[in-house]
Amino acid sequence: MAEGKYPINLWVNEDRYAKLQAAGLAHMCKEAMAGLKVIYVYANDAQRDKILQVIPQAKFDSATTKSIELIPRKQKDKIFDLVIQKKSIDVLDDFLKMF
Amino acid sequence: MAAIGHGGKPIVERIMEPAEAVKKIQGLPQVPIRSQIANEVIGISYGFFSPLEGFMNQADVDSVCKKMRLANGNVWSIPIVFDKSDDEIHEFGIKAGSPVVLTFHGNPMAIFEVEEIFSYDKEAMAQAIYGTTDVKHPGVARTYKYKDKFIGGKITLANRPKINEPFGPYFITPIEMRKKFEERGWKRIVAHQTRNVPHTGHEWLMKGAWSQTYAELPIDKPYVGVLVNAIIGEKRKGDYIDEAIILTQDELRKSGYFGDHNHLTSLTFWDMRYAGPKEAIFHSILRTNLGLTHHMFGRDHAGVGTYYGAYDAHNLLATVQDELAITPVYSMNWLYCPHCGEVTSEGLCNHKSEWQKFSGTLIRSIVDDGVKPPRLIFRPEVFDLVMECAEKYGFGSPFVTDEYLEKRTPVFSIEPLKA
Repeated sequence: MAEGKYPINLWVNEDRYAKLQAAGLAHMCKEAMAGLKVIYVYANDAQRDKILQVIPQAKFDSATTKSIELIPRKQKDKIFDLVIQKKSIDVLDDFLKMF
Repeated sequence: MAAIGHGGKPIVERIMEPAEAVKKIQGLPQVPIRSQIANEVIGISYGFFSPLEGFMNQADVDSVCKKMRLANGNVWSIPIVFDKSDDEIHEFGIKAGSPVVLTFHGNPMAIFEVEEIFSYDKEAMAQAIYGTTDVKHPGVARTYKYKDKFIGGKITLANRPKINEPFGPYFITPIEMRKKFEERGWKRIVAHQTRNVPHTGHEWLMKGAWSQTYAELPIDKPYVGVLVNAIIGEKRKGDYIDEAIILTQDELRKSGYFGDHNHLTSLTFWDMRYAGPKEAIFHSILRTNLGLTHHMFGRDHAGVGTYYGAYDAHNLLATVQDELAITPVYSMNWLYCPHCGEVTSEGLCNHKSEWQKFSGTLIRSIVDDGVKPPRLIFRPEVFDLVMECAEKYGFGSPFVTDEYLEKRTPVFSIEPLKA
């Protein structure tokens, strides 16, 4: 079976956009939902399962969007900071090392 | 003309006048009840659960579990049971043949004519209703939490609930609901079942269902209405607060996305069982009793996790359609298509590779990240009201927190009984 690819949506507010611009990473934003900026960080099956295990509030929206949602803001900020630090969206292994 | 409910039976309110109630409850044993049971007492007394006249006896429970019917043959899908432990039955002096008074928050609420005390295999009940015995299923977990004895018998409301603000205008009983429909001149009314703050996907589900329901009716006057019937019951941390749900649903009308001529918001007290197909049948019965003619059902209606297939509810409804006095309206999902630049139905748009699906959960994540969702997917009036509700009712959050659960004003209260 093909490996899954499940997005975590980092919605880009003004603060986040300023940080991205300062780091020269504004191009990483995609446009979604009629004008919002978002960075998609993708989890594989194992990462998704681990996230749901270590962040009990998180939810995998299996019915509609197939995305990982309801990760608390503080945790998403940590993922976002890793994106800035590594200049990459491939950060979930590093993020999960924090648990 | 009598209001006719499920099974072709007239809706009969089982409510006693206060003066009579004060006399009747004197000397009766008092039995405290929890919120689920209080919700169901209201459901039974006002006719939301017609033709039920009380909590189910063993014959009804067994028949519902094995045949999806009451013992009298009427379709019914979820047992409505009153549970107590042996110790509680002894402590409160509950005996078959003797009435007791049910109390909620310390005040008398209803008279319960105890007819039968019985046991039932809870695992068999869970398997029959939920199709699983997995305790991770919230309905199964609820079933396993029932105490070991069930008590059947008729219920009569002795003390009408005081519906607290802001919910007052939205508690509309089956008898009152029919008057509202008549005043509006609606010939057909389609139910929108919800436990959510509406995003535009919900709004378009309603608009699509309104259009489907309108069908061949003349268009000289508004003949079709959408009734939003919000389920208000047990809350879990992280849910939207009740106040935000009911007020934002109505905001769609107030802000002109609908109007008085085609939209009405109401509530029903019920603790969701997440029974998927069986809950869909129950919703059909409930909305029949509210006087509706049509009912929206989307994919995986009232399901949870991966326990039910997308169309299981539709398939089960089809098996008893002739016995339900409500027409199902099946709804496809609505989504945002950047190519079209609009919210559209997956049954219409063919830019499949560009589709951006959204859900309440996704919109919540947008809000959590400090971003205001665009009006195409979340109406600004709804967003502003959600934030207002957070401050006014939610102790700073639009979502249920421990503080909300502890300090919120209950949706209804039972006041001391006065003649």
